[in-house]
Amino acid sequence: QISWPPLLVLGYLFYLLLGATVFQLLEKQAETHFRDQFQLEKLNFLQNYTCLDRQALEKFVQVLMEAWEKGVNPEGNSTNPSNWDFSNSFFFAGTVVTTIGYGNLSPSTVAGQIFCVFYALFGVPLNLAFLNQLGKGLNAHLLTLERWVQKPGRAQVQLAIFLSTGTLLFLVFPPLVFSYVEGWSYGEGFYFTFITLSTIGFGDYVVGTNPNKHYIPVYRSLTAIWIVFGLAWLALVFNVGADLMEKFLQLKWYKSDLSLAEGATTKLEDEPEQPRIHIPS
Amino acid sequence: VLLAVYVGYVGMGAAVLQALERPVEVRMAQRLLQERLELLANHTCLQGPNLQRLIEGIIQAYKSGITLQGNTTSLGRWDYSGSFFFSISAITTIGYGNLSPSTAVGRIFCIMFALFGIPLNLILLNEIGQLMLLGVQHCAHRLEEVFHWQNKASLLMKTCALVTGLLLFLLLPPLLFSDKEGWSYEEGFYYSFITLSTIGFGDYVIGMNPDRTYPRWYKNVISLWILFGMAWLALVIKFCINLLE
Repeated sequence: QISWPPLLVLGYLFYLLLGATVFQLLEKQAETHFRDQFQLEKLNFLQNYTCLDRQALEKFVQVLMEAWEKGVNPEGNSTNPSNWDFSNSFFFAGTVVTTIGYGNLSPSTVAGQIFCVFYALFGVPLNLAFLNQLGKGLNAHLLTLERWVQKPGRAQVQLAIFLSTGTLLFLVFPPLVFSYVEGWSYGEGFYFTFITLSTIGFGDYVVGTNPNKHYIPVYRSLTAIWIVFGLAWLALVFNVGADLMEKFLQLKWYKSDLSLAEGATTKLEDEPEQPRIHIPS
Repeated sequence: VLLAVYVGYVGMGAAVLQALERPVEVRMAQRLLQERLELLANHTCLQGPNLQRLIEGIIQAYKSGITLQGNTTSLGRWDYSGSFFFSISAITTIGYGNLSPSTAVGRIFCIMFALFGIPLNLILLNEIGQLMLLGVQHCAHRLEEVFHWQNKASLLMKTCALVTGLLLFLLLPPLLFSDKEGWSYEEGFYYSFITLSTIGFGDYVIGMNPDRTYPRWYKNVISLWILFGMAWLALVIKFCINLLE
Protein backbone atom coordinates (compact mmCIF):
# COMPACT_ATOMS: atom_id res chain seq x y z
CA GLN A 1 0.00 0.00 0.00
CA ILE A 2 2.87 2.40 0.72
CA SER A 3 4.40 1.99 -2.73
CA TRP A 4 1.08 2.65 -4.51
CA PRO A 5 1.12 6.48 -4.92
CA PRO A 6 4.48 6.94 -6.70
CA LEU A 7 3.92 3.81 -8.76
CA LEU A 8 0.50 5.02 -9.73
CA VAL A 9 1.82 8.45 -10.66
CA LEU A 10 4.56 6.92 -12.77
CA GLY A 11 2.12 4.54 -14.43
CA TYR A 12 -0.25 7.40 -15.13
CA LEU A 13 2.47 9.54 -16.67
CA PHE A 14 3.80 6.70 -18.74
CA TYR A 15 0.33 5.92 -19.98
CA LEU A 16 -0.14 9.52 -21.16
CA LEU A 17 3.21 9.52 -22.92
CA LEU A 18 2.33 6.29 -24.63
CA GLY A 19 -0.98 7.69 -25.83
CA ALA A 20 0.60 10.88 -27.10
CA THR A 21 3.18 9.00 -29.10
CA VAL A 22 0.69 6.68 -30.73
CA PHE A 23 -1.75 9.47 -31.57
CA GLN A 24 0.98 11.50 -33.14
CA LEU A 25 2.07 8.52 -35.20
CA LEU A 26 -1.43 7.80 -36.44
CA GLU A 27 -2.78 11.28 -37.04
CA LYS A 28 0.01 13.60 -38.08
CA GLN A 29 0.28 12.35 -41.63
CA ALA A 30 -3.42 12.52 -42.35
CA GLU A 31 -3.53 16.01 -40.93
CA THR A 32 -0.68 17.24 -43.15
CA HIS A 33 -2.44 15.82 -46.15
CA PHE A 34 -5.68 17.64 -45.35
CA ARG A 35 -3.88 20.86 -44.62
CA ASP A 36 -2.03 20.84 -47.93
CA GLN A 37 -5.22 20.05 -49.78
CA PHE A 38 -6.97 22.93 -48.12
CA GLN A 39 -4.19 25.42 -48.93
CA LEU A 40 -4.42 24.40 -52.57
CA GLU A 41 -8.15 25.00 -52.56
CA LYS A 42 -7.64 28.43 -51.13
CA LEU A 43 -5.14 29.43 -53.80
CA ASN A 44 -7.43 28.25 -56.55
CA PHE A 45 -10.25 30.23 -55.06
CA LEU A 46 -8.19 33.42 -55.07
CA GLN A 47 -7.20 32.90 -58.69
CA ASN A 48 -10.75 32.30 -59.84
CA TYR A 49 -12.60 34.86 -57.79
CA THR A 50 -13.78 36.72 -60.85
CA CYS A 51 -15.89 33.76 -61.84
CA LEU A 52 -17.46 33.26 -58.42
CA ASP A 53 -20.88 31.72 -58.71
CA ARG A 54 -23.18 29.83 -56.37
CA GLN A 55 -21.65 26.47 -57.10
CA ALA A 56 -18.12 27.64 -56.42
CA LEU A 57 -19.18 29.27 -53.20
CA GLU A 58 -20.95 26.15 -52.00
CA LYS A 59 -17.94 24.06 -52.74
CA PHE A 60 -15.74 26.49 -50.88
CA VAL A 61 -17.97 26.47 -47.86
CA GLN A 62 -18.03 22.70 -47.81
CA VAL A 63 -14.26 22.65 -48.02
CA LEU A 64 -14.06 25.04 -45.10
CA MET A 65 -16.39 22.96 -43.01
CA GLU A 66 -14.57 19.75 -43.72
CA ALA A 67 -11.28 21.37 -42.83
CA TRP A 68 -12.73 22.69 -39.61
CA GLU A 69 -14.11 19.31 -38.67
CA LYS A 70 -10.73 17.76 -39.22
CA GLY A 71 -9.27 20.23 -36.77
CA VAL A 72 -7.57 22.49 -39.29
CA ASN A 73 -8.19 26.13 -38.55
CA PRO A 74 -8.74 27.87 -41.91
CA GLU A 75 -8.14 31.29 -40.40
CA GLY A 76 -4.41 30.74 -40.09
CA ASN A 77 -1.79 30.08 -42.72
CA SER A 78 0.32 27.04 -43.53
CA THR A 79 2.98 27.80 -40.90
CA ASN A 80 0.50 26.90 -38.15
CA PRO A 81 1.82 24.59 -35.45
CA SER A 82 0.53 21.10 -36.06
CA ASN A 83 -2.50 19.97 -34.11
CA TRP A 84 -0.89 16.61 -33.61
CA ASP A 85 2.62 17.56 -32.53
CA PHE A 86 3.76 15.94 -29.30
CA SER A 87 2.65 18.64 -26.93
CA ASN A 88 -0.81 18.77 -28.44
CA SER A 89 -1.13 15.00 -28.63
CA PHE A 90 -0.24 14.84 -24.97
CA PHE A 91 -2.95 17.30 -24.16
CA PHE A 92 -5.35 15.32 -26.30
CA ALA A 93 -4.51 12.07 -24.54
CA GLY A 94 -5.18 13.83 -21.27
CA THR A 95 -8.59 14.96 -22.44
CA VAL A 96 -9.41 11.38 -23.40
CA VAL A 97 -8.32 9.84 -20.13
CA THR A 98 -10.07 12.45 -17.99
CA THR A 99 -13.15 12.03 -20.22
CA ILE A 100 -13.24 15.77 -20.87
CA GLY A 101 -13.15 15.12 -24.63
CA TYR A 102 -13.20 18.63 -26.06
CA GLY A 103 -13.72 17.46 -29.61
CA ASN A 104 -12.07 20.43 -31.27
CA LEU A 105 -9.54 17.74 -32.14
CA SER A 106 -10.43 14.11 -32.63
CA PRO A 107 -8.95 11.12 -34.45
CA SER A 108 -10.01 11.07 -38.07
CA THR A 109 -8.28 7.88 -39.17
CA VAL A 110 -10.01 4.55 -38.52
CA ALA A 111 -6.93 3.23 -36.76
CA GLY A 112 -6.79 6.33 -34.59
CA GLN A 113 -10.41 5.90 -33.61
CA ILE A 114 -10.07 2.24 -32.73
CA PHE A 115 -6.93 2.98 -30.76
CA CYS A 116 -8.74 5.78 -28.98
CA VAL A 117 -11.44 3.35 -27.85
CA PHE A 118 -9.04 0.89 -26.32
CA TYR A 119 -6.87 3.64 -24.97
CA ALA A 120 -9.82 5.07 -23.09
CA LEU A 121 -10.96 1.60 -21.95
CA PHE A 122 -7.87 1.31 -19.80
CA GLY A 123 -7.11 4.98 -19.38
CA VAL A 124 -10.35 6.03 -17.77
CA PRO A 125 -10.17 3.57 -14.85
CA LEU A 126 -6.54 4.48 -14.45
CA ASN A 127 -7.48 8.12 -14.28
CA LEU A 128 -10.19 7.37 -11.73
CA ALA A 129 -7.81 5.44 -9.52
CA PHE A 130 -5.30 8.26 -9.83
CA LEU A 131 -7.80 10.96 -8.90
CA ASN A 132 -8.93 8.76 -6.04
CA GLN A 133 -5.42 8.68 -4.61
CA LEU A 134 -5.07 12.40 -5.16
CA GLY A 135 -8.31 13.08 -3.38
CA LYS A 136 -7.22 10.99 -0.43
CA GLY A 137 -3.95 12.89 -0.33
CA LEU A 138 -5.74 16.23 -0.42
CA ASN A 139 -8.04 15.12 2.34
CA ALA A 140 -5.08 13.97 4.46
CA HIS A 141 -3.56 17.42 4.10
CA LEU A 142 -6.86 18.92 5.11
CA LEU A 143 -6.90 16.86 8.29
CA THR A 144 -3.37 17.93 9.22
CA LEU A 145 -4.39 21.53 8.56
CA GLU A 146 -7.33 21.11 10.87
CA ARG A 147 -5.01 19.91 13.61
CA TRP A 148 -2.89 23.04 13.16
CA VAL A 149 -5.91 25.29 13.56
CA GLN A 150 -6.69 23.38 16.78
CA LYS A 151 -10.42 23.29 16.22
CA PRO A 152 -11.16 19.59 16.32
CA GLY A 153 -14.48 18.22 15.15
CA ARG A 154 -15.96 21.33 13.57
CA ALA A 155 -16.89 19.64 10.34
CA GLN A 156 -18.79 22.61 8.94
CA VAL A 157 -15.85 24.99 9.39
CA GLN A 158 -13.54 22.48 7.81
CA LEU A 159 -15.92 22.05 4.91
CA ALA A 160 -16.29 25.80 4.45
CA ILE A 161 -12.56 26.43 4.41
CA PHE A 162 -12.05 23.53 2.04
CA LEU A 163 -14.75 24.75 -0.34
CA SER A 164 -13.63 28.37 -0.36
CA THR A 165 -9.92 27.71 -0.91
CA GLY A 166 -10.75 25.22 -3.63
CA THR A 167 -13.16 27.63 -5.28
CA LEU A 168 -10.57 30.38 -5.30
CA LEU A 169 -7.74 28.21 -6.50
CA PHE A 170 -9.61 26.31 -9.17
CA LEU A 171 -12.59 28.37 -10.22
CA VAL A 172 -11.97 32.05 -9.51
CA PHE A 173 -8.28 32.57 -10.14
CA PRO A 174 -7.61 30.52 -13.32
CA PRO A 175 -10.13 32.40 -15.49
CA LEU A 176 -8.07 35.53 -14.85
CA VAL A 177 -5.04 33.79 -16.29
CA PHE A 178 -6.98 32.41 -19.23
CA SER A 179 -8.69 35.67 -20.10
CA TYR A 180 -5.33 37.40 -20.05
CA VAL A 181 -3.48 34.82 -22.15
CA GLU A 182 -6.28 33.87 -24.54
CA GLY A 183 -7.96 37.21 -24.86
CA TRP A 184 -11.28 35.96 -23.54
CA SER A 185 -13.57 37.85 -21.23
CA TYR A 186 -13.62 36.77 -17.61
CA GLY A 187 -17.04 35.20 -18.15
CA GLU A 188 -15.77 33.15 -21.04
CA GLY A 189 -12.77 32.08 -19.00
CA PHE A 190 -14.99 31.02 -16.13
CA TYR A 191 -17.28 29.16 -18.50
CA PHE A 192 -14.31 27.33 -19.94
CA THR A 193 -13.00 26.56 -16.45
CA PHE A 194 -16.23 25.06 -15.28
CA ILE A 195 -16.97 23.10 -18.45
CA THR A 196 -13.47 21.67 -18.30
CA LEU A 197 -13.38 20.76 -14.61
CA SER A 198 -16.78 19.12 -14.76
CA THR A 199 -15.38 17.02 -17.64
CA ILE A 200 -18.25 18.10 -19.84
CA GLY A 201 -15.76 19.61 -22.24
CA PHE A 202 -17.81 21.06 -25.08
CA GLY A 203 -14.76 22.23 -26.93
CA ASP A 204 -16.16 25.58 -27.98
CA TYR A 205 -13.36 27.08 -25.88
CA VAL A 206 -10.02 25.34 -25.62
CA VAL A 207 -6.77 26.78 -24.29
CA GLY A 208 -3.82 27.14 -26.58
CA THR A 209 -5.62 26.79 -29.91
CA ASN A 210 -5.56 30.35 -31.20
CA PRO A 211 -3.22 30.43 -34.22
CA ASN A 212 -2.67 34.17 -33.84
CA LYS A 213 -1.18 33.91 -30.37
CA HIS A 214 2.15 32.76 -29.05
CA TYR A 215 2.10 30.61 -25.93
CA ILE A 216 5.00 29.83 -23.62
CA PRO A 217 5.91 26.12 -23.82
CA VAL A 218 4.87 25.26 -20.26
CA TYR A 219 1.48 26.88 -20.69
CA ARG A 220 -0.40 23.77 -21.68
CA SER A 221 1.48 21.63 -19.15
CA LEU A 222 0.55 24.01 -16.34
CA THR A 223 -3.02 23.90 -17.57
CA ALA A 224 -2.91 20.09 -17.51
CA ILE A 225 -1.70 20.09 -13.90
CA TRP A 226 -4.40 22.54 -12.94
CA ILE A 227 -6.99 20.32 -14.64
CA VAL A 228 -5.92 17.21 -12.74
CA PHE A 229 -5.97 18.86 -9.31
CA GLY A 230 -9.11 20.73 -10.10
CA LEU A 231 -10.78 17.49 -11.16
CA ALA A 232 -9.90 15.78 -7.92
CA TRP A 233 -11.27 18.71 -5.95
CA LEU A 234 -14.44 19.07 -8.01
CA ALA A 235 -15.14 15.33 -7.89
CA LEU A 236 -14.97 15.55 -4.10
CA VAL A 237 -17.38 18.45 -4.15
CA PHE A 238 -19.82 16.67 -6.44
CA ASN A 239 -19.71 13.58 -4.30
CA VAL A 240 -20.43 15.59 -1.17
CA GLY A 241 -23.26 17.27 -3.05
CA ALA A 242 -24.65 13.93 -4.18
CA ASP A 243 -24.44 12.64 -0.61
CA LEU A 244 -26.34 15.65 0.69
CA MET A 245 -28.98 15.28 -2.01
CA GLU A 246 -29.35 11.61 -1.20
CA LYS A 247 -29.77 12.28 2.51
CA PHE A 248 -32.35 14.90 1.66
CA LEU A 249 -34.23 12.55 -0.64
CA GLN A 250 -34.07 9.71 1.88
CA LEU A 251 -35.56 11.93 4.53
CA LYS A 252 -38.37 12.77 2.18
CA TRP A 253 -39.01 9.36 0.68
CA TYR A 254 -37.94 6.37 2.74
CA LYS A 255 -36.90 3.45 0.59
CA SER A 256 -36.58 -0.16 1.66
CA ASP A 257 -33.51 -1.00 -0.43
CA LEU A 258 -31.23 1.27 1.61
CA SER A 259 -28.07 -0.30 0.29
CA LEU A 260 -27.12 3.32 -0.34
CA ALA A 261 -27.09 3.75 3.42
CA GLU A 262 -23.47 2.64 3.37
CA GLY A 263 -22.50 5.96 2.01
CA ALA A 264 -24.95 7.96 4.08
CA THR A 265 -22.35 9.21 6.52
CA THR A 266 -20.66 12.03 4.68
CA LYS A 267 -16.96 11.49 4.89
CA LEU A 268 -14.50 13.67 3.09
CA GLU A 269 -12.35 10.58 2.70
CA ASP A 270 -14.94 9.22 0.30
CA GLU A 271 -13.50 8.17 -2.98
CA PRO A 272 -13.69 11.13 -5.33
CA GLU A 273 -14.32 9.00 -8.36
CA GLN A 274 -17.35 9.41 -10.45
CA PRO A 275 -19.68 7.72 -10.62
CA ARG A 276 -19.82 6.48 -7.09
CA ILE A 277 -21.12 2.92 -6.97
CA HIS A 278 -20.95 0.58 -4.00
CA ILE A 279 -20.59 -3.06 -4.88
CA PRO A 280 -21.28 -5.25 -1.86
CA SER A 281 -18.60 -7.90 -1.81
CA VAL B 1 -39.95 9.19 -7.93
CA LEU B 2 -36.28 9.86 -8.57
CA LEU B 3 -36.79 9.06 -12.22
CA ALA B 4 -39.61 11.59 -12.43
CA VAL B 5 -37.40 14.23 -10.81
CA TYR B 6 -34.62 13.42 -13.22
CA VAL B 7 -36.79 13.54 -16.33
CA GLY B 8 -38.47 16.70 -15.11
CA TYR B 9 -35.14 18.33 -14.46
CA VAL B 10 -33.80 17.57 -17.91
CA GLY B 11 -37.04 18.67 -19.50
CA MET B 12 -36.92 21.94 -17.65
CA GLY B 13 -33.39 22.54 -18.80
CA ALA B 14 -34.36 21.82 -22.38
CA ALA B 15 -37.21 24.28 -22.27
CA VAL B 16 -35.13 27.06 -20.76
CA LEU B 17 -32.28 26.60 -23.20
CA GLN B 18 -34.62 26.51 -26.14
CA ALA B 19 -36.15 29.77 -25.00
CA LEU B 20 -32.73 31.34 -24.60
CA GLU B 21 -30.97 30.11 -27.69
CA ARG B 22 -33.56 29.85 -30.42
CA PRO B 23 -34.09 33.60 -31.09
CA VAL B 24 -30.35 34.17 -31.42
CA GLU B 25 -30.08 31.23 -33.75
CA VAL B 26 -32.87 32.51 -35.98
CA ARG B 27 -31.33 35.96 -36.16
CA MET B 28 -27.90 34.55 -37.03
CA ALA B 29 -29.39 32.44 -39.80
CA GLN B 30 -31.20 35.40 -41.33
CA ARG B 31 -28.11 37.56 -41.20
CA LEU B 32 -26.06 34.83 -42.83
CA LEU B 33 -28.49 34.49 -45.71
CA GLN B 34 -28.41 38.22 -46.22
CA GLU B 35 -24.62 38.30 -46.27
CA ARG B 36 -24.42 35.54 -48.80
CA LEU B 37 -26.79 37.30 -51.18
CA GLU B 38 -24.70 40.44 -50.89
CA LEU B 39 -21.55 38.45 -51.58
CA LEU B 40 -22.99 37.02 -54.76
CA ALA B 41 -24.02 40.46 -55.90
CA ASN B 42 -20.52 41.87 -55.42
CA HIS B 43 -18.51 38.87 -56.53
CA THR B 44 -16.39 40.73 -59.02
CA CYS B 45 -14.38 42.53 -56.37
CA LEU B 46 -13.38 39.67 -54.08
CA GLN B 47 -9.84 40.13 -52.73
CA GLY B 48 -7.62 38.76 -49.98
CA PRO B 49 -9.00 40.74 -47.04
CA ASN B 50 -12.52 40.08 -48.26
CA LEU B 51 -11.79 36.42 -48.47
CA GLN B 52 -10.43 36.45 -44.95
CA ARG B 53 -13.52 38.10 -43.65
CA LEU B 54 -15.63 35.61 -45.57
CA ILE B 55 -13.79 32.74 -43.96
CA GLU B 56 -14.06 34.21 -40.51
CA GLY B 57 -17.74 34.76 -41.00
CA ILE B 58 -18.25 31.20 -42.13
CA ILE B 59 -16.31 29.80 -39.19
CA GLN B 60 -18.21 31.99 -36.79
CA ALA B 61 -21.51 30.77 -38.17
CA TYR B 62 -20.36 27.18 -38.11
CA LYS B 63 -19.29 27.48 -34.48
CA SER B 64 -22.73 28.66 -33.51
CA GLY B 65 -24.15 25.54 -35.06
CA ILE B 66 -25.70 26.59 -38.35
CA THR B 67 -25.50 24.23 -41.31
CA LEU B 68 -24.39 26.25 -44.27
CA GLN B 69 -25.23 24.19 -47.29
CA GLY B 70 -28.09 24.50 -49.67
CA ASN B 71 -30.19 27.55 -50.31
CA THR B 72 -31.76 27.82 -46.91
CA THR B 73 -29.85 27.54 -43.67
CA SER B 74 -31.20 24.57 -41.80
CA LEU B 75 -32.54 25.55 -38.41
CA GLY B 76 -33.85 23.44 -35.58
CA ARG B 77 -30.67 22.63 -33.70
CA TRP B 78 -32.19 24.21 -30.61
CA ASP B 79 -35.67 22.81 -31.05
CA TYR B 80 -37.07 20.92 -28.08
CA SER B 81 -35.68 17.57 -29.06
CA GLY B 82 -32.27 19.07 -29.69
CA SER B 83 -32.25 21.04 -26.45
CA PHE B 84 -33.32 17.94 -24.53
CA PHE B 85 -30.47 16.00 -25.98
CA PHE B 86 -28.15 18.86 -25.16
CA SER B 87 -29.28 18.87 -21.54
CA ILE B 88 -28.55 15.18 -21.30
CA SER B 89 -25.14 15.72 -22.82
CA ALA B 90 -24.47 18.39 -20.21
CA ILE B 91 -25.45 16.59 -17.01
CA THR B 92 -24.03 13.24 -18.04
CA THR B 93 -20.87 15.26 -18.71
CA ILE B 94 -20.67 13.81 -22.20
CA GLY B 95 -20.62 17.34 -23.61
CA TYR B 96 -20.55 16.76 -27.36
CA GLY B 97 -20.03 20.40 -28.17
CA ASN B 98 -21.55 20.28 -31.64
CA LEU B 99 -24.20 22.36 -29.96
CA SER B 100 -23.25 24.72 -27.17
CA PRO B 101 -24.77 27.86 -25.69
CA SER B 102 -23.63 31.02 -27.43
CA THR B 103 -25.51 33.59 -25.37
CA ALA B 104 -24.01 34.75 -22.08
CA VAL B 105 -27.22 33.97 -20.26
CA GLY B 106 -27.37 30.53 -21.83
CA ARG B 107 -23.89 29.84 -20.57
CA ILE B 108 -24.57 31.02 -17.06
CA PHE B 109 -27.66 28.87 -17.02
CA CYS B 110 -25.68 25.97 -18.37
CA ILE B 111 -23.22 26.26 -15.50
CA MET B 112 -25.95 26.36 -12.89
CA PHE B 113 -27.81 23.59 -14.64
CA ALA B 114 -24.77 21.34 -14.62
CA LEU B 115 -23.83 22.23 -11.06
CA PHE B 116 -26.98 20.59 -9.78
CA GLY B 117 -27.59 18.24 -12.65
CA ILE B 118 -24.37 16.33 -12.43
CA PRO B 119 -24.83 15.14 -8.82
CA LEU B 120 -28.39 14.29 -9.71
CA ASN B 121 -27.18 12.28 -12.64
CA LEU B 122 -24.66 10.50 -10.44
CA ILE B 123 -27.36 9.49 -7.99
CA LEU B 124 -29.53 8.14 -10.79
CA LEU B 125 -26.70 6.18 -12.34
CA ASN B 126 -25.94 4.77 -8.91
CA GLU B 127 -29.53 3.67 -8.53
CA ILE B 128 -29.62 2.06 -11.95
CA GLY B 129 -26.36 0.31 -11.23
CA GLN B 130 -27.67 -0.99 -7.92
CA LEU B 131 -30.79 -2.28 -9.62
CA MET B 132 -28.74 -4.06 -12.24
CA LEU B 133 -26.54 -5.59 -9.57
CA LEU B 134 -29.54 -6.74 -7.54
CA GLY B 135 -31.01 -8.30 -10.65
CA VAL B 136 -27.82 -10.20 -11.33
CA GLN B 137 -27.57 -11.40 -7.73
CA HIS B 138 -31.22 -12.43 -7.76
CA CYS B 139 -30.67 -14.55 -10.84
CA ALA B 140 -27.54 -16.03 -9.27
CA HIS B 141 -29.50 -17.04 -6.17
CA ARG B 142 -32.18 -18.64 -8.29
CA LEU B 143 -29.55 -20.61 -10.20
CA GLU B 144 -27.99 -21.76 -6.95
CA GLU B 145 -31.36 -22.96 -5.72
CA VAL B 146 -32.19 -24.84 -8.89
CA PHE B 147 -28.83 -26.38 -9.73
CA HIS B 148 -27.10 -26.37 -6.33
CA TRP B 149 -23.99 -24.62 -7.65
CA GLN B 150 -22.29 -22.36 -5.13
CA ASN B 151 -19.75 -19.83 -6.23
CA LYS B 152 -20.04 -20.89 -9.83
CA ALA B 153 -23.53 -19.47 -10.17
CA SER B 154 -22.40 -16.02 -9.11
CA LEU B 155 -19.51 -16.03 -11.53
CA LEU B 156 -21.68 -17.37 -14.32
CA MET B 157 -24.28 -14.68 -13.78
CA LYS B 158 -21.66 -11.97 -13.69
CA THR B 159 -20.12 -13.08 -16.97
CA CYS B 160 -23.60 -13.43 -18.41
CA ALA B 161 -24.43 -9.91 -17.36
CA LEU B 162 -21.16 -8.67 -18.80
CA VAL B 163 -21.81 -10.31 -22.15
CA THR B 164 -25.42 -9.15 -22.35
CA GLY B 165 -24.35 -5.66 -21.47
CA LEU B 166 -21.63 -5.75 -24.05
CA LEU B 167 -24.06 -6.84 -26.73
CA LEU B 168 -26.82 -4.49 -25.72
CA PHE B 169 -24.75 -1.38 -25.20
CA LEU B 170 -21.66 -1.65 -27.36
CA LEU B 171 -21.98 -4.28 -30.06
CA LEU B 172 -25.58 -4.05 -31.28
CA PRO B 173 -26.23 -0.27 -31.27
CA PRO B 174 -23.67 0.39 -34.05
CA LEU B 175 -25.91 -1.68 -36.31
CA LEU B 176 -28.77 0.66 -35.55
CA PHE B 177 -26.54 3.66 -36.16
CA SER B 178 -25.29 2.42 -39.51
CA ASP B 179 -28.90 2.03 -40.56
CA LYS B 180 -30.14 5.38 -39.31
CA GLU B 181 -27.04 7.53 -39.68
CA GLY B 182 -25.20 5.88 -42.51
CA TRP B 183 -22.02 5.37 -40.49
CA SER B 184 -19.79 2.35 -40.84
CA TYR B 185 -19.89 -0.22 -38.06
CA GLU B 186 -16.54 0.95 -36.74
CA GLU B 187 -17.75 4.53 -36.62
CA GLY B 188 -20.87 3.44 -34.78
CA PHE B 189 -18.83 1.50 -32.29
CA TYR B 190 -16.45 4.41 -31.84
CA TYR B 191 -19.38 6.71 -31.25
CA SER B 192 -20.96 4.28 -28.78
CA PHE B 193 -17.87 3.97 -26.70
CA ILE B 194 -16.96 7.65 -26.77
CA THR B 195 -20.49 8.46 -25.66
CA LEU B 196 -20.84 5.87 -22.89
CA SER B 197 -17.46 6.73 -21.43
CA THR B 198 -18.69 10.37 -21.30
CA ILE B 199 -15.70 11.53 -23.31
CA GLY B 200 -18.05 12.81 -26.00
CA PHE B 201 -15.89 14.43 -28.64
CA GLY B 202 -18.81 15.47 -30.76
CA ASP B 203 -17.23 14.52 -34.07
CA TYR B 204 -20.07 12.02 -34.38
CA VAL B 205 -23.46 12.87 -32.97
CA ILE B 206 -26.70 11.06 -33.69
CA GLY B 207 -29.59 12.83 -35.29
CA MET B 208 -27.62 15.74 -36.73
CA ASN B 209 -27.69 14.97 -40.41
CA PRO B 210 -30.05 17.38 -42.18
CA ASP B 211 -30.38 15.04 -45.16
CA ARG B 212 -31.88 12.23 -43.12
CA THR B 213 -35.23 11.73 -41.49
CA TYR B 214 -35.30 10.09 -38.09
CA PRO B 215 -38.24 8.28 -36.48
CA ARG B 216 -39.87 9.87 -33.48
CA TRP B 217 -38.65 7.30 -31.00
CA TYR B 218 -35.05 7.53 -32.12
CA LYS B 219 -33.63 10.18 -29.83
CA ASN B 220 -35.59 8.97 -26.80
CA VAL B 221 -34.40 5.40 -27.20
CA ILE B 222 -30.85 6.68 -27.60
CA SER B 223 -31.18 8.72 -24.41
CA LEU B 224 -32.29 5.62 -22.51
CA TRP B 225 -29.45 3.69 -24.03
CA ILE B 226 -27.01 6.34 -22.84
CA LEU B 227 -28.30 6.22 -19.27
CA PHE B 228 -28.35 2.45 -18.88
CA GLY B 229 -25.21 1.99 -20.85
CA MET B 230 -23.36 4.45 -18.65
CA ALA B 231 -24.58 2.75 -15.50
CA TRP B 232 -23.50 -0.62 -16.85
CA LEU B 233 -20.10 0.66 -17.95
CA ALA B 234 -19.55 2.34 -14.59
CA LEU B 235 -20.32 -0.95 -12.85
CA VAL B 236 -17.86 -2.76 -15.07
CA ILE B 237 -15.13 -0.18 -14.46
CA LYS B 238 -15.75 -0.23 -10.71
CA PHE B 239 -15.59 -4.01 -10.79
CA CYS B 240 -12.26 -3.88 -12.60
CA ILE B 241 -10.86 -1.41 -10.09
CA ASN B 242 -11.98 -3.70 -7.26
CA LEU B 243 -10.28 -6.61 -8.96
CA LEU B 244 -7.05 -4.62 -9.31
CA GLU B 245 -6.96 -3.68 -5.62
